[in-house]
Amino acid sequence: MYEIRFHGRGGQGGRMAAEAYALAAFLEGNYAVSFPFFGAERRGAPVRAFTRVDKEKIRIKTQVYEPDYVVVLDETLIETEDVLEGLKENGMVIINTTKKPEEVRLSRPVRCATVDATSIALDVLGRAITNTAILGAIARATGEVGIESVEKAIIEKFGARLGEAAGKKNAEAARIAYEKTLIGTSQGGKAFVPKKRWLPDVNELPVGGAIGTLQTDAGLVGIGSFIENKTGDWRTFMPEIDKEKCIGCKICWFYCPEGCISMVDGKAIVDYDYCKGCGICANECPVKAIEMKREVRI
Amino acid sequence: MNIKDLPEDENYFTPGHTACAGCAAPIIVRNMMKIFGKDTIVYTPANCLLVFGGTYPYLSWKVPYLHEAFENTGSCIAGVSRAYKKKGKKVTVVGFAGDGGTYDIGIQALSGAAERNEDAIYVCYDNEAYMNTGIQRSGSTPYGASTTTTPAGKKIPGKLEHKKDMAEIMRAHQIPYVATMSIAHPKDFLEKTKKAKETEGFRYLHVLSPCPTGWRADPAKTVELARKAVDCGMWTLYEAEYGEITNIYKPKKKIPVEEYIRGQGRFRHFTPEMVEELQRWVDEKWERLYGEKP
Repeated sequence: MYEIRFHGRGGQGGRMAAEAYALAAFLEGNYAVSFPFFGAERRGAPVRAFTRVDKEKIRIKTQVYEPDYVVVLDETLIETEDVLEGLKENGMVIINTTKKPEEVRLSRPVRCATVDATSIALDVLGRAITNTAILGAIARATGEVGIESVEKAIIEKFGARLGEAAGKKNAEAARIAYEKTLIGTSQGGKAFVPKKRWLPDVNELPVGGAIGTLQTDAGLVGIGSFIENKTGDWRTFMPEIDKEKCIGCKICWFYCPEGCISMVDGKAIVDYDYCKGCGICANECPVKAIEMKREVRI
Repeated sequence: MNIKDLPEDENYFTPGHTACAGCAAPIIVRNMMKIFGKDTIVYTPANCLLVFGGTYPYLSWKVPYLHEAFENTGSCIAGVSRAYKKKGKKVTVVGFAGDGGTYDIGIQALSGAAERNEDAIYVCYDNEAYMNTGIQRSGSTPYGASTTTTPAGKKIPGKLEHKKDMAEIMRAHQIPYVATMSIAHPKDFLEKTKKAKETEGFRYLHVLSPCPTGWRADPAKTVELARKAVDCGMWTLYEAEYGEITNIYKPKKKIPVEEYIRGQGRFRHFTPEMVEELQRWVDEKWERLYGEKP
């Protein structure tokens, strides 16, 4: 048996990737199961999904804690959590990034495959949904399933949902990724400080659980504490404001769902710590002073 | 009241919330809160805003805030408002509910609070389905929209019924103030919010809130969709005081409903007959509200 853990963000299709992979393995005569794990968060929040494949019937139903392969759909996730947690000694990680495997820095050196699935998805599908392209990379990197089975699984799974033409396009994205995948070894030595949680005992907990703003070891909690939750790493496209063109009308300031545009000297400025890249500001700007640009993180 | 009259540095709903990119709800809430001000108590029942505005112990709100059950927004804001009155404090009490919590689950508590003319503001941000739990149809979902409980396919072509007119139900309660609003009309939006704050008694504000996830639309087009909804007549902006419509906005040029539904995945399966049926419903509503044929 081998196990895969997918790291993605809500809306990127990590769950569909895990399911389509299971289907590809099943088409080759294996038993396969897959399921996602996520909290109550919206799109953009980190999500995990799991796939197990075996020649025998699979009785185990738990999450995957010691994966053979780790798949990362969004490279910003390798900065905030140790994606290698529990990965087997000779395991392998497959990452959607513009970098070469040798340029990726993780907590330890491991076998690593990289592919720029976001660019492939944008080229072929016109949207930054990377879950099908990454499947091609998994097939290439692990050799566990053939690319033909992956294509078949994608056409079946995505075709049923999005129509036959979309199914074929997604299969094409997988094939291109398959051909472009690089395999090597990552760097190690990146340190991760585990995120602390606010876990007060019964005496510390305020009456009724109601709290004002409280500074704790785990950071701010209570009223207004979400300000410490930086949502900027959700985005694929970033708004760029042309200061020459900006007339200071404050329309973008009004419409920004994050409230992360401020006015300085009568010009709009974006706080990229929070911007999710929705593009409303660029769409509504009356003088077209805002342009959405593909963001490549280094 | 216009965008430039809003305070720049007052923010009672902070960045860092976890709404989907392009969500209209934080646009509505953040700007309304700038007018309601710091002496506001906020209540939310179960809805997306409850989840993305805070997961214990983290919170985007910077004002006192509480959450109770799904169905009793009306009773909760009534109770909070009466408690503050008893203490002799002047505050604004606001409940932000979604369409599910207003049209379906919360309607009895809402109707009761309206009938008793409780001194509170009820805001319905209407994204036309139960988006929080995964896009199930609600009483607000328009005709033909594909949701996870009315999936368009061989058996049914999406939702079979038309959207319930909730604002009209609230107008029939003859409360001091009812307003339907859209983020695409900022001046109108802000003036109505201000008027609601300054009015006493029960006030009902209803805002259309485009949802890129549930409507399967481009997140950048959220405001554009809100604008088109008004221009085609799917959404009508008016104010009513004690049951009488005192102010109604009429689009300069009425666009066909087809222009609005294009670009929304939930309507992708529409046949010409379905477009016609939706247009018929819009035209009837138009005639009812404006007193003339479109």
